[in-house]
Amino acid sequence: MKKYILLIPILFSTAFSFGQNKASGKINQFTDLAGAVGSSRGTVALSYVHNWKLGKKQKWEAGLGARLTTAFGTKQEHTTAPARLARGTTVPFVIVFAEQKTENWDTLTVQRPLVNSINISANFGYNFSQQWSAGFNIDLIGFTFGRKTSAILTSNGVTQTESVAKPASFNALLTGDLDYGNLNSEFFIKYKLNNRWSIRGIYQFYFSEYKTTTIKQIAPDGTEVDRFRQKGNNFGAGISYNF
Amino acid sequence: MKKVFSLLFTAGILLTACKKEKTSSTGVSMDPVDTTAALKYRAAFDNGGYGTTTGIAKIYSKAGAYSLVLDSFSVSTGPDLHVYLSKEMQPINFIDVGLLKTTSGRQVYNINGMPDFMEYKYALIHCQQYNHLFGSAKFY
Repeated sequence: MKKYILLIPILFSTAFSFGQNKASGKINQFTDLAGAVGSSRGTVALSYVHNWKLGKKQKWEAGLGARLTTAFGTKQEHTTAPARLARGTTVPFVIVFAEQKTENWDTLTVQRPLVNSINISANFGYNFSQQWSAGFNIDLIGFTFGRKTSAILTSNGVTQTESVAKPASFNALLTGDLDYGNLNSEFFIKYKLNNRWSIRGIYQFYFSEYKTTTIKQIAPDGTEVDRFRQKGNNFGAGISYNF
Repeated sequence: MKKVFSLLFTAGILLTACKKEKTSSTGVSMDPVDTTAALKYRAAFDNGGYGTTTGIAKIYSKAGAYSLVLDSFSVSTGPDLHVYLSKEMQPINFIDVGLLKTTSGRQVYNINGMPDFMEYKYALIHCQQYNHLFGSAKFY
């Protein structure tokens, strides 16, 4: 845990050290608090974003940020995570569109998931007008800490109790099922209330990963699997404060 | 600005609070038992470390199908209580027969498939969400 705590300032300083001397008009810098809910689950995310405005009209913007996401729920189903088992190909980017090999999937139902992930994020936006904008953001890399909880592994109709399922501790965006850990991403529309405050409507796509400790899935190729992933669709709202 | 915060807070509460937790009824059930079914196994419940469980678990067979009957049954209330058939006294390898219908009375559960009761020799009352064993009964 100590090494993770030491990583926090490194992650934040990496995210915020770019472009500090730019003219403020070319920079959109804000903090944001967002909440989203799905089926028996929810997330709360606190983030800081530093975007550079791009293009002649400066309608586009892109940048980096850091985000703390807390995800919680009950009885969340996670399926077999390793890409070589979950999808028809493991080629980065192509994997997103590859066939799902559901015949290899087992289900880990995590009873009381609670994970906190701190990630560097990539952020993109387009300003339609003075008030309205839209954007996309996605976690890139970071780490997770959270609650260990019991889970039930269902494999070919056989059910087993996993007494200690734990959140995957390392997060990395490698595209699709190649991803590791807990990664938050959002599509949003944003309405500017005044120079400081904005509100957002959010569609969230959240990757969660739990690992088993005492029991494993035996995959069709004979390998043991302890990584299970959930891809959750959530909807929510947020409020931003511009600096 | 206060209005915006209030709106977001209220929306958050409403969205997160609308899911009803799964719990068993506290009423007394008196499910009818098929008197033409053959009694195959029976077992008395012992406490499992959480709450108090009493009663008899019975396995009936009829026309190639099994059913589990909890008779004169009573268990302390708890969240997410499930009925298992298990190979071990702790639910390591088990069949989830279903959510416990009520905390007392007689109740009948249909069992999918044809489990071998030489292997699945325990009936368990288990709080699935918190992994707490409320009661176990070993068939003989």
